[in-house]
Amino acid sequence: MLANMRRALEGILVCDFSWVGAGPIATNVLGQCGAEVIKIESVKRPDILRRGEPFKDGVGEGLERSGYFANRNPNKKGIALNMNHPDAREVAARLIKKSDIVINNFRVGQMEKWRLGWEDVKQLNPRAIYVTMSMQGTAGPHKEYMGYGVNLNALCGLTERAGFPGERPFGTGTNYTDHVMVPTHTLFGITAALLHRERTGLGQTVAVSQLEAAITMAPSGALAYAANGEILGPMGYGDAEAAPHGIYTCLGYRKWIAIAVCREQEWQALKTVMGEPAWAADDKFGAMATRKANEAELDARIEEWSKRQYADWLMEQLTRRGVSAGIVNDARGVVEDLHLRKREFFAYLDHPVVGSTLYNRAPIRFSKTPLEMKSAAPLLGQHTTEVLTGKLGYTIREVEVLIASEVLV
Amino acid sequence: MDKRVEPMKGNDDGLSHIRVIDFTGELGPYAGKLYAGLGADVIHVEPISGDPLRKVGPFYKGIAGPERSLQFLYYNGGKRGLVLDINKENGREVFVELCRTADLLFESFPPGYLEGLELSYDHLSAVNPRLVHTSITPFGHSGAYTDYPGSDLTCLALGGFLFLAGVGNDKPVRPPDNQAYRMAEAYAAVGSSVAVLLAQRTGIGQFVDVSCMESAAMALENAAQYWDLEGVNRRGRGREAGTATIHPCRDGYVVVVAIMGTNKVMWEPFVEWMRDEAVEEWEVFANPQWIDPSYRSSEEGYQIFCRIFERFTRTHDKAYLYERGQTHRVAITPVSNGKDLFENPQLKTRDFWREVRHKSLGESVVFPGAPYEFSELKWRFGVAAPTFGQHSAGILGELGYSARQIEALAKEGATYVG
Repeated sequence: MLANMRRALEGILVCDFSWVGAGPIATNVLGQCGAEVIKIESVKRPDILRRGEPFKDGVGEGLERSGYFANRNPNKKGIALNMNHPDAREVAARLIKKSDIVINNFRVGQMEKWRLGWEDVKQLNPRAIYVTMSMQGTAGPHKEYMGYGVNLNALCGLTERAGFPGERPFGTGTNYTDHVMVPTHTLFGITAALLHRERTGLGQTVAVSQLEAAITMAPSGALAYAANGEILGPMGYGDAEAAPHGIYTCLGYRKWIAIAVCREQEWQALKTVMGEPAWAADDKFGAMATRKANEAELDARIEEWSKRQYADWLMEQLTRRGVSAGIVNDARGVVEDLHLRKREFFAYLDHPVVGSTLYNRAPIRFSKTPLEMKSAAPLLGQHTTEVLTGKLGYTIREVEVLIASEVLV
Repeated sequence: MDKRVEPMKGNDDGLSHIRVIDFTGELGPYAGKLYAGLGADVIHVEPISGDPLRKVGPFYKGIAGPERSLQFLYYNGGKRGLVLDINKENGREVFVELCRTADLLFESFPPGYLEGLELSYDHLSAVNPRLVHTSITPFGHSGAYTDYPGSDLTCLALGGFLFLAGVGNDKPVRPPDNQAYRMAEAYAAVGSSVAVLLAQRTGIGQFVDVSCMESAAMALENAAQYWDLEGVNRRGRGREAGTATIHPCRDGYVVVVAIMGTNKVMWEPFVEWMRDEAVEEWEVFANPQWIDPSYRSSEEGYQIFCRIFERFTRTHDKAYLYERGQTHRVAITPVSNGKDLFENPQLKTRDFWREVRHKSLGESVVFPGAPYEFSELKWRFGVAAPTFGQHSAGILGELGYSARQIEALAKEGATYVG
């Protein structure tokens, strides 16, 4: 029993046409759970994230130096398959016949053009789970509209509230929905379809609408308007339920500490750490409601104190006394964070071109089937021969012919 | 506003063979909601003091009350409700019996809390070896911070996520709806379903440890690699002209991604759009310098872009800019507020919003709908979120407790029958 308990998704094969952001993040998690992920690219159509910054030592030559690409694609096998060649479909079809999951995030119609839409795939493999990700669904007046993660952040309502009152909204500073809402709903949809298949033996389609998935995880603005006609405004770094609740400057270059005080005893503890300053004894800071009413002054007072302190020391003193406090870590701070290192959140994997570089695992710790970080992102086409001869029944000679005829490039 | 009353449940029974116990509060409920949305039997367990989320606004019609928290009603829709005091011996017994019948337990107690009550994974798996027990906490069950107090803000900060939500020396802003919690819940749902799938095949469950700080650190885009490969601590996108910049318009703001990197083909439709609108000084955008990211990132580039583009955007509504820009194949979108979402014609056409009747309010409440569509499984909002103790008696009855025993449990305060 224990031998086959090592990997939760042992034996699951993923035919991965997805590229760029959300799709590869989803299949990355499947791979860490033990699924075998075959990533399909072509030198004629590489995953465009291979050209995305950052690059090892800042050198952006070639297709093998991008860390943006790498961190989405560890543990995968890469095959080069030129889908626009008429003979490529047969190779893809052989892979699909063996696959449990077939995933793409192309525009609607691309897979159908290759005769690999769901109707075709169902004929090849009725047990396949066929995953698509549209921006806003496959029907409706905006189905053709374009957008990137930052567009969806804004469209779904997240950006509007992520700003300081009176200033232009800012958002997360990232393509947030691509990293969170879209891959997690894709993954949950896939695993739900696998659970369903356990009972029925049938595959099915999983179609994620990126906009709709995003709204389900940021619902407050819509809820408040629908119920009350109320528009919730920007929240800065505040919280309706807590005061003080903010980001405070500390000693050093771009050093801040986040402090969240939700209960009375936490306020008392914060006062203790601040050395019981006279201002904090004022009645206007005596209760949550009054602190909230005088929040600007409260924050300014706290910052007068915090800006002469070290963030890490403050975090240590405050958390010890039961106050939620955390350094605003930059990337270096996160990578070097003691807690994350103890939990083996990051891994360094060896890559033939860039050497040992940084990856992170998914934020899931299984007690019996730990996630695995085995191999760095594949070179484009690194596993073409291995997969075709080992899994798809091609001979070396046939592979050579397919390479020469520009099918396997 | 367009709303759809949910059709009656058809033949599809979805994940009804999966029983989920959801003993979470402010942190945790979206994990169970994902299961409820596909038909799983989800039981939301509340302490006798009530789920703290019931106290969190916004409230229905702006009036606070335990049955009026819109977030509680949303995140716990599709679940049944059981009130249980596990600080009492007989409450603990009920909890163990409940876990005996379950495939999956979600809880968000501080690490060690359940252990102290002899309800840890080791105890529960002895009763039910196929149980998957998923814990959702700020920092997880091991490591240096496991016993630290945590909140959404501090997890976003420590995970490196907040640092990206600002430019230059600006302080970061915080996204709404407790995103560190939401991220952890989403990954908890995913990890749990992987573990449940394995448990269905092998009969062996396991403990799944999901932390908010790690979930936040999963969403750093390329920032950790920027440090590792180039020694750079990047901050947020938002000051490179035309590349994810936000601009004011007549009734709010829009965000535009008119170019990325040196992609000239992407930029051209934007220039055409500006020309077609006869935007004053549009010719400036035809200059090839805009293809150079370093120019767009310069203060001069940003200021000129804003001057010309905003002179145009300020005279139009976000809906106009959205439609006209998209017609020109420019990736422009409104910065939506709640009202914009409800008036969004795409969501309206797709019947996204769901109207659910709440007897306790005597009214219907409108909620976001399905995040995905399947060919076999059917998404549903499900029953209205439980009122306090609504299903206590029914669930205890299913577990084999007699009416007299349930009455005794209620009398001793181990449960509340609503």
